[in-house]
Amino acid sequence: MIAADATTTGRPVHKKRFMTHAQQGAWTRALLMGIYVAITAFPFYWMFITAFKTNSDLYTLSNNPLWFNELPTFGHVIYLFNSTRFGTWMLNSAIIGVVVVLITLAISTPAGYALARLDLPGANQMGMAIFATYLVPPTLLFIPLTRVVYFLGLQNTIWSLALILPTISIPFAVWLLMGFFKNVPREIEDAGLVDGCSRFQAVMQIVLPISKAGLAAAGMFAFAISLQAFLYPLVFTSSTAVKPVTLGVVTDLVRGDIYYWGELMAGALLAGLPVAILFNVFLDDFVEGITGGAFK
Amino acid sequence: MATLARGVAVQRSLTDRLRAPRYTGYLLVLPAIVYVLALIGFPLVLGVWYSLTNTTVAEPGHFIGLQNFVDVAKDPTFRLAVRNTLIIGIVATAAKITLSVALAFLMLGAFPGRGIMRILFVLPWTIPIALSTIAYKWMFISQYSVVNWIFIRLGILTDPGINWLGTAVPAMAAVIFVSTWRAVPFGAITVLAGLTAIPTDVIEAARIDGAGWWARFIKVIVPIIAPILFIALLFDLIFTLSELTVVFILTGGGPVDQTQVLANYALQVGVNGTQLGQGAAISLYMFPVLLVLTILSLRHIAKREGM
Repeated sequence: MIAADATTTGRPVHKKRFMTHAQQGAWTRALLMGIYVAITAFPFYWMFITAFKTNSDLYTLSNNPLWFNELPTFGHVIYLFNSTRFGTWMLNSAIIGVVVVLITLAISTPAGYALARLDLPGANQMGMAIFATYLVPPTLLFIPLTRVVYFLGLQNTIWSLALILPTISIPFAVWLLMGFFKNVPREIEDAGLVDGCSRFQAVMQIVLPISKAGLAAAGMFAFAISLQAFLYPLVFTSSTAVKPVTLGVVTDLVRGDIYYWGELMAGALLAGLPVAILFNVFLDDFVEGITGGAFK
Repeated sequence: MATLARGVAVQRSLTDRLRAPRYTGYLLVLPAIVYVLALIGFPLVLGVWYSLTNTTVAEPGHFIGLQNFVDVAKDPTFRLAVRNTLIIGIVATAAKITLSVALAFLMLGAFPGRGIMRILFVLPWTIPIALSTIAYKWMFISQYSVVNWIFIRLGILTDPGINWLGTAVPAMAAVIFVSTWRAVPFGAITVLAGLTAIPTDVIEAARIDGAGWWARFIKVIVPIIAPILFIALLFDLIFTLSELTVVFILTGGGPVDQTQVLANYALQVGVNGTQLGQGAAISLYMFPVLLVLTILSLRHIAKREGM
């Protein structure tokens, strides 16, 4: 694998051998990656094929499990939408996700900007302190938080999640945005001020548009956090109608000890796919946000 | 862009406007601090208080000192949970780091199909972990396990295969596998970002000096990517040690608590068993370890940021 260095920095003296070496390296890499990806992407294939198999196909042991032995069916998907609250769960997740993004950006953007640009004494220490709370895992907080949520009268509502989930995204987003705002050249902002903008206008019209990759990364992170969350939904919500989709699928499609695998996999696929696509669209922004912003 | 503001603005000098009043700055940070104090700081303190009382969901309870911690330490399930949490934390983290570095090197150069493979590669990290874990449960489930079906046909296992989730060691292996599977893409991408930042002439110089690939790796590449790797490792350890979703869905801590972990046990005792005080004590046993890891991470980041 270290051959990667050799191929990119090959000595010019051996130009001819270097070329074949590079090609060989590329194909070896493609093969190794192919094997790795085939193994790690298998669960998605397995979700897909299970979601569209009939029950008799799924539970006949002599069948080849890797392919359709009977005609594919939309039965599980139809069941999800007609006989479960799958649509409600998706809607709950979307509402929670959007509210969490809005709260996160509304609170983190001013904080990140002020800590990065306003020369506040102790700004770096404050930024660090806020970031430190990102490392306090939900496991340490969920028991007392159930009481806090109860006290606020939010137990068993989607608003409990809209309120609590930003505690995971805000610390990270403040840190991420601090990094982004530090990278906006002061001269550009000052040019706006010289131009007669107020500070607020300079921020709105110059700094924020330049930092849109950072804002996208922070928003994306907040959205992902709210969709990924499992422990908080598990302890704050109990009624079918208020569950987010990740919780609804894995708890409500199991009756007693009976797992409805066709419905479970159809639900996992339909809920997981949009998230995966969204993530892929924003992936580069996100990686830039983390590596370029926070850990430069 | 500024025609409206211009008339008012000229009256004040430029330097005045460049220096925003200090209290405005702190005011902008205030909402973030309030949010974090109210919903992280306060619950943390409340959790410590609960752990020192016999509070249940039904009754407020009173102060009982360290009794919960003493009781919990004698509990055999708690001991299993500590053991398993440590094993999962250490083994999974080691696997994640090794695979992340190896795969980052693999992806460093161009190769045919790189675009589509990258999309497939990040899939495990992008899908919510609860949903992928339920797929793994179905892959490992005793009678219909597709993992067994494939392994038997490859000649790796003999019929009827392994009862993955019903046997202690295979169940732990399954938990560690899923946890690793999920985290590697992010680790690899992070390391890859670190690798692309290494100037190639540094490696080239070492090569001309006659360093073999292993020497180049240890003496040149590792020191450069070590800081990012170190932070990634500490972060991952913090979240792996406090993880619950995989165990909750895949094994439920079973068979008979053989894959029980602290977070899941705290949930069982504190929420399902309504013993808030004891549950809080179980999760707080993690606190010293997490605190040390957090301080290490923050010091490391502070050093990198030049603070």
